[in-house]
Amino acid sequence: MTSSNSGSEAARPKGLSRSISEASAWLARIGSLPILVALAIIVFAWGNPRFLSEDNIINVSQQGVYLLIVALGQMLVLIAGGFDLSVGANMALTSIISAKVMVALLAAFPHAPWLAVAAGFVATLGIGIATGALNAFGVGVLRINPFIVTLATTSIFQGATLIASEGTQVDGLPEPFIDTLGSGFVGNVPIVLLITIPIVLLIYLLVSWTRFGRNLYVTGSNPRAALIVGVSVTLTLAVAYTLCTILAAIAGYLLTARVSSGEPLLGGEFPLRSITAAVIGGCSLRGGQGTVGGVVLGVIFVTILANGMDMLRLGSSIQMVILGVVLMFAVVMDRYKTS
Amino acid sequence: MTPDELPAPDSVIALSGVWKSYGSLSVLKDVSIDLRQGQVHMLLGENGAGKSTLVGLMVGAYAADAGSLYLRGKKIAGLKPAEARRAGINAVMQDFSLAPSMTVAENYFLGREETRGVLLRKREMRSHVASVFADLNIRLNIDARVETLSRPEQQLLEILRALGGKPGAIILDEPTATLTHEETELLFTIVRRLRSESWAILYITHRFEEVRALGDCITVLRDGRRVAHYLVEGLSDERLIQDMVGRPLESFYPDITTAPGDAALSLVGIASREGGLREASLHVRSGEIVGLGGLIGSGKGHVGQAAFGLLSLDAGHVEVFGEQRAISGPREALARGIVYLPQDRRGEALALNRPAHENISLEMIRTPAGATRGFLRKRRLRGEVQRLMQILDVRPSSSATEAQRFSGGNQQKLVVARALSRPRRIYIFCEPTAGIDVGTRLELYRQLVTLCREGAAILLITSDLQELVHLSHRIYVMREGRTVGELCGEARTEEEVTRLSFGLPSAPPQPREALL
Repeated sequence: MTSSNSGSEAARPKGLSRSISEASAWLARIGSLPILVALAIIVFAWGNPRFLSEDNIINVSQQGVYLLIVALGQMLVLIAGGFDLSVGANMALTSIISAKVMVALLAAFPHAPWLAVAAGFVATLGIGIATGALNAFGVGVLRINPFIVTLATTSIFQGATLIASEGTQVDGLPEPFIDTLGSGFVGNVPIVLLITIPIVLLIYLLVSWTRFGRNLYVTGSNPRAALIVGVSVTLTLAVAYTLCTILAAIAGYLLTARVSSGEPLLGGEFPLRSITAAVIGGCSLRGGQGTVGGVVLGVIFVTILANGMDMLRLGSSIQMVILGVVLMFAVVMDRYKTS
Repeated sequence: MTPDELPAPDSVIALSGVWKSYGSLSVLKDVSIDLRQGQVHMLLGENGAGKSTLVGLMVGAYAADAGSLYLRGKKIAGLKPAEARRAGINAVMQDFSLAPSMTVAENYFLGREETRGVLLRKREMRSHVASVFADLNIRLNIDARVETLSRPEQQLLEILRALGGKPGAIILDEPTATLTHEETELLFTIVRRLRSESWAILYITHRFEEVRALGDCITVLRDGRRVAHYLVEGLSDERLIQDMVGRPLESFYPDITTAPGDAALSLVGIASREGGLREASLHVRSGEIVGLGGLIGSGKGHVGQAAFGLLSLDAGHVEVFGEQRAISGPREALARGIVYLPQDRRGEALALNRPAHENISLEMIRTPAGATRGFLRKRRLRGEVQRLMQILDVRPSSSATEAQRFSGGNQQKLVVARALSRPRRIYIFCEPTAGIDVGTRLELYRQLVTLCREGAAILLITSDLQELVHLSHRIYVMREGRTVGELCGEARTEEEVTRLSFGLPSAPPQPREALL
């Protein structure tokens, strides 16, 4: 009655087709990003030998850290299933307010410049928390689409920045702020890079090794499932958005030191770049996906792309076009990967 | 008694000695199957046995690594999906090929509209559909737009469309999983009609009753091999189960004798407009499995949601261990020792783009064993996840695989694994065995009984009548948002449950006059 199985394992075709499918499985696991990064490095190094010089590597890392900090924040909200368009306006607001605070304290205590720097940082955290509370309220409590919420808060932050600054930059920042935080080195390593490393590690610990991290992923992947296993979706979203704005504010503070004045138009390119870097780095716009390692690679890619194009003397307008194309490409890849 | 020579003269589509693997994972090993005109071919096998892949080969979604495919006796190399469709090979799978914004009648004739010149013969087509439906006693509004239909209704329509067309092969993948009894009967009628119109039907199922009711012949797959192939006539249930599970079964349902303790969960006259509940009352004691049955739409699923704080109550209250306090939401319910396994695994239970181990450990990470001061104890979690996946025989067994890459039954196992991962005092299981194969079903039943022996209170909400009757100490039946009866002891029969579900008078049958 039961038919016997006459075929043997040897009848299964092996060889080339199988090694190809294994290779593609491996590629799917690590993603195409490391290859893209390597390719970009080869192309730019070939186009301009100075690209791989020590000076330029230091330069690139100094350019990249600000984007890295913002992109990590962006990653947190992307994992939670949203995104934050207000990070740029946030940086400008932080730049103006922290600069004003520092200038005021420097005037009161001219012999304690580090006190002014510290006060500026406290102001930065304050702004990060306040702006985060606003975004978190809109997205987490009122459950409004993050696109609308962060577009609206962008306008609010920009308005507040213009009111506070009256449209002009704030000069006269403490010298150690500019010299140390802005362009200081320990040996050959920029100080901002040293400040960024612990931030990266903390975010890695948070998303990969804590219960909050798991809550974040499940909230972004399936909020209903999160609710049913007892995750407070509102709290999780609120924390993600607030951490994002705190990180953006810190980036704004550090970038203020770099440009040595409070700038009302600081950070305009950061919303697009941070989302681009995070999505290229494996975050999904549908939530529930993203890793710190991936985002670091994404930031490296976007930064060397900009730097390499500078070195090939491509104009900033054409660079904007290319960056937009890269973002579209990343989103298409994201859809291809998940379907 | 079927000759192994392929294909037979009346074959519609046949596969002979096919092999298929994904990467290093072998899914089909030397499998042959032949769908013939006027035959209902039952395909049985556990989750991950290779059924979906086999169907994929037939509709041209994948290509076999080795072996041959015959369309109406002609050998075809590299079958394309469009080619399969033209040849009349239809698969009714999870996603339907209906046009949501068009009406039932329009969908019935979709792609084969009758025309007079360039104009559609709308009236004739409409009346044709009406007569077909009347003939089969189908009460579907033929002018309703398809998007307004329920999923079971859409599924029936999808199958109905095959009627009156050129006979080919139709593949039904667990078609009754979401159907009511009435709808199931209707489906059977349609399938028999298709058979009489010379269609070849491949019918994938986990339910033995359906094999008996419909099947002409059976193919059983296990681990990608065809382990059995025979005609249904003269076949014993024991033999079939043995072939499916690969081991003999003394008794399918485990012994559930326990001594229940105090009431753990009580619902007292709850009503909820949101959930269509009018008046539901029941109680579950510690160390007891209480079944909740009823038709789809009777509100039985919403009772579970209400007890878990997912529905707002308009009247009545919920008591947990005698304490009457409103359950504001899932967090409150969980804190009071209740866990809920939702019916809709994709919509409510799984983070689909996250790995299996994260999905399973979502409960564990909320215990001291799973995390200390918010930091995960990853090694402990991984070990526990592996253990659960092994017990429930989840395939593939790699815990890093994303939840969406598992077959439906294996996704359900992930949800069940999560529910079992953390000891609770009250379990609410909503359709826990939907789409799960026999082997795992048995394991789940064993787990339920163990939980029950250890003193847990279990509310089992299920549409599977046999499961309801054989696994529950007591049974409540719902109809139109009300609990309409409680069955204990000898009264726990499928007949009684069905009577209560439909609101028919209970046994012994009343004299005919009394009904008039």
